[in-house]
Amino acid sequence: MNIVSALEWVESTELSTAIREGALLYPIIGGFHLVAIALFGGMLVMTDLRLLEWAMQRRKVSDVIEQMRGWKRAGFALVVSSGLLLGWAEPLRLYRSPSFWVKMALLTLVGVHALLFRKGVYQNAKALDAGVTPRAKLAAALSLILWAGLVVSGRLIAFDA
Amino acid sequence: MNGPEWAFPVVESLHFIGMALSIGTIAIVDLRLLGIAMCRQTASDLEADLHRWTWFGLALMLITGPLMFSADAPNYHHNPAFHFKMTSLFLALVFNFTLRRYATRTETPSLLARVAGAVSLALWTCVVAGGRMIAFV
Repeated sequence: MNIVSALEWVESTELSTAIREGALLYPIIGGFHLVAIALFGGMLVMTDLRLLEWAMQRRKVSDVIEQMRGWKRAGFALVVSSGLLLGWAEPLRLYRSPSFWVKMALLTLVGVHALLFRKGVYQNAKALDAGVTPRAKLAAALSLILWAGLVVSGRLIAFDA
Repeated sequence: MNGPEWAFPVVESLHFIGMALSIGTIAIVDLRLLGIAMCRQTASDLEADLHRWTWFGLALMLITGPLMFSADAPNYHHNPAFHFKMTSLFLALVFNFTLRRYATRTETPSLLARVAGAVSLALWTCVVAGGRMIAFV
């Protein structure tokens, strides 16, 4: 079974057809995807801006990171699950969309970022209260760039044929 | 906006980043008002920490929003989702600077604070969802 026929099978499933062809389901799931970005994206940005010492400087680094962690994870789970449903609805179109592959590459880099920095930076917040290390600032800057790239490439998918 | 074909998606992306900054920072304070997040700080301390970023995000949205509108004004004008979004936006902004501001300044956790946080979250969710629906109606 090659990839295209596998994706054709996905498109033939009831769930895929329902999301794609139902008048309401696709916009509602798209709405969830976007609302999750709106409500929890702010926490991601603020965590990284705190590490860069650009925002919330009166708060301890550990206070910001520890209190936002759970909400960021919940938001990430919402964005990913709604995104998976959107992808399930039209896998062939995404397969042929260059912006989609850029987005997936960036998402992979988000995973690499977590492997490189989660332990030393985000789960080591108390140590950063004494002073944010250059490594933590690098992590924050890269995270902001990656997520901005995810937003832009995600939006561009709609403009690929 | 009717210029190069990348102009619209770029402006739209900036609109989304403005959204995460403004609504995202408002949501942080709203969740604090509800008493379910960031409880090591008071709501008014958080508001003081974040309001600069809220404004920055709002400015970004109020610049990019009208730009997108100008690209296709007649269509937006007749779009019910657009009207829903603008009504929600008006209500969300009025609420933000009246009751929610008052609730944020009241230090003790109160029913008022919880209601203000919930209403604010609901109104901004309507703004975002209404915006998403513009493309589908």
